[in-house]
Amino acid sequence: MNQISRREFLKMGASLAAMIGLGPLYAPALAEGLQEIVYGRVRILWLQGQSCTGCSVSLLDSASPGPVSLVTRYMSLAFHATLSAAQGQVAMDMIYQLVQKPGYVLIFEGAVPMGMPRASLVNDKPLEELLLPAVQNAGVVIAVGTCATYGGMPAAEGNPTGAASLRKFMEAKRLNTGNLLAVPNCPAPPESLVGSLAYYLKLGMPPKDPQFHRPTMFYSRSVHAECPRYHYYQNSQFASDFGDEHNCLFKLGCLGPISFSDCPRRQWNDRTNWCVRANSPCISCSSEYFCALKDVPFFRKGEAYRALKKTVNKSTESKSQGE
Amino acid sequence: MTIVKIDPLTRIEGHLKIETVMDTNTDSKFKEKFRVREARSTGLMFRGVEVLLQGRDPMDAQHIVQRICGVCPIAHGIASCMAQEVAYRTEATANGRLIQNLILVSDYIHSCFTHFYLLAALDFVNVKAILEYKGNDPKISGLKQWAQQELKDNRISPVAPFLPRYEGDYIENVDVNISLLAHYVQAFDMRALAYKMGCVFGGKMPHTMSLLPTGANVNVRVDDILSAKTKLEELITFINQVYLPDVALLAKSYPQYFKIGKGPEAFLCAGVFRESNYDMYIKPGVVINGALEEFNQEMITEDVRFSYYSSRSKMHPFESETKADPYKQGAYSWLKAPRYKRKAMQVGPAARLLVQYARKNNHEMCQLSDKLLEEIGGKPGDLNSAMGRHLARAVECKFIAERAMQWLDQLNPKEPSAKDFDLPETGIGYGCLEAPRGTLGHWLKIKNYVIENYQCVVPTTWNCSPRDDDGQPSAVEQSLEGTLVADAENPIEVGRVVRSFDPCIACSVH
Ligand code: SF4
Ligand code: SF4
Repeated sequence: MNQISRREFLKMGASLAAMIGLGPLYAPALAEGLQEIVYGRVRILWLQGQSCTGCSVSLLDSASPGPVSLVTRYMSLAFHATLSAAQGQVAMDMIYQLVQKPGYVLIFEGAVPMGMPRASLVNDKPLEELLLPAVQNAGVVIAVGTCATYGGMPAAEGNPTGAASLRKFMEAKRLNTGNLLAVPNCPAPPESLVGSLAYYLKLGMPPKDPQFHRPTMFYSRSVHAECPRYHYYQNSQFASDFGDEHNCLFKLGCLGPISFSDCPRRQWNDRTNWCVRANSPCISCSSEYFCALKDVPFFRKGEAYRALKKTVNKSTESKSQGE
Repeated sequence: MTIVKIDPLTRIEGHLKIETVMDTNTDSKFKEKFRVREARSTGLMFRGVEVLLQGRDPMDAQHIVQRICGVCPIAHGIASCMAQEVAYRTEATANGRLIQNLILVSDYIHSCFTHFYLLAALDFVNVKAILEYKGNDPKISGLKQWAQQELKDNRISPVAPFLPRYEGDYIENVDVNISLLAHYVQAFDMRALAYKMGCVFGGKMPHTMSLLPTGANVNVRVDDILSAKTKLEELITFINQVYLPDVALLAKSYPQYFKIGKGPEAFLCAGVFRESNYDMYIKPGVVINGALEEFNQEMITEDVRFSYYSSRSKMHPFESETKADPYKQGAYSWLKAPRYKRKAMQVGPAARLLVQYARKNNHEMCQLSDKLLEEIGGKPGDLNSAMGRHLARAVECKFIAERAMQWLDQLNPKEPSAKDFDLPETGIGYGCLEAPRGTLGHWLKIKNYVIENYQCVVPTTWNCSPRDDDGQPSAVEQSLEGTLVADAENPIEVGRVVRSFDPCIACSVH
């Protein structure tokens, strides 16, 4: 098991520390955290509720460490529905075996249909029946992605299943949320998930916000504050059409000011690109507002039309009243 | 009679249960002891995306529907853009179409690699062969040492996620196993590379940011074209030198799977990759019992007799509704049962390729498929089988990746990628195209500037639906009938047939 040298670990630890904004002093500790994941001292149980598997796919877009080492050595992925060879009873037996040995890491992707338990079934039983012992016996519980963190798209206004976040599920079952860590964004960035895990294993629970349990190292600065177009915003230079590369996207609907995530720095798919560079207004996929309300659309184009309609309606109403 | 249930059926997207009734096999020609009499396919997770879209801004749709599926979000996003374009009475710009095609190609390639290597290969490759590896490739010997250590430590679930597994007739040849395992490892990086290529234009993958009715937010930039080209070149090399040969090798190792997993002789293809606003690279068409017809979305209806809905049955998607009834008597799946002219259809790469054959279109694609089929003594009809689906997927992947090179050259940095449009107070529109897993349609009705109704009929809804109101089983259910199984405790054959369709359950129920 000496394929990865100490030096490589240090290098990865350093890049992780830099990403988290911790400074080089922390590199050795994080390197050890990574090493610990490598040597498989923790087993990971990955369960999915009302999810789209996007967070799992995103994890495979991890660049450093790369995806193969991640799912074999780093993550010790004991069970994952998309990747495990085990299926049927073989898989269920393994999950139960694992849940009986407390201390594993539980990663949960998706929302929990608390208003309609049959909207997510595992082996003919509502997911909740498996999720409850899995959460109770886990050493740390990680809610991965915006669905698990806040409810996300399945919990959008008017949804029929009463979809809720893992936190709400835990609170409803009166479970202690002290060991809960939430890594939002839709999908969750692999850097934030792996970084949080490495930090937890070596340095303990990372500092997190009390309401949503998000590690502050990744989720305390707004997209807006770190956006390269921020100076346009300050100068009130706003784009009014799609495709404008040289103005702030705020008036098209950009939700960067209410989104707390390190997207402008971290970027996506191994730093290939990110939303605003692709000229796309932030849709706040990292926040509790994502998809939440019908009245807060992603683009503001429709607002003007609806406002106009309202004024027209009002004036015709007052007219008809006057008659 | 034996009832065999696989729940969860893993290495697909989402929560799927397959229940089969097996008889004892009495045909002494075959050594297998069991034969599947009938099968039921059950989707186990529901979110109600169509319901929560009601009352929202129509332009929210292309982002929300991508969240239907994290494996093939792009096709959903584009279907929504197409439906909106019809409703807004506008059309896509040339750059816009090209950018959408390129992001979609990136999703296709990622999907092909993910499906063949990460999901399906473990049904054939003997992972234990890694222990016999003697070469010095650092990645494979790393994997070997890891596996050895895991076994030595005697832990719970050693060598997970590769073990435990069903036992069965895995590949015996050590070299073949090791070479496929090496490519399994490489495929992880390659699928990430495919997504990087899409990210150049989309801003982020999966769940891309730049899709917009009439095209894309993102402008065409010369540096982006170059960056995408470099990535695509590497992907094409992998497809030609590794992926296609591996699929051909697997086909030769398991020729019997060209006779196993045959679905209905009814193939649907809505066409995909817009070359202009009236023409697509993969042409649409319907082939039922060998007869070719034009694809017409009006022929689609959705049944719910065996689905957990109290909605009206046999409705066209414009009129269809989604009223959940999780305790409905007699129902057994969260999928609705879409039918074309009341027929259970088969969708996906094999269906697409068979439609291209029937239309005498994409000649080179058909030629390569002929050549690969000849090597195992097969003919185009054999594409309707478990192995045929893998073969068709790989052949198509090569041609769309190569075509994408030309799309990159057609991008024009001087032209915009989208154009302005007016939002209508009322409107209707639909968008039909092929997602990696098959035919996808979105139907949209707008009233008072917000969504009044939104319905999606998704590839896996076609392939894995429950029975329809007339009791007709779906493509997956039909394709399992008659499958021979060696050991009912280890029904590996059933998994192979189901996985050849590449089911995506989050998609199919939505
Ligand atoms: S584009 Fe968005 S995130 Fe950037 S400065 Fe403008 S409002 Fe803020
Ligand atoms: S910039 Fe906004 S939309 Fe983009 S990934 Fe970050 S939070 Fe999500």
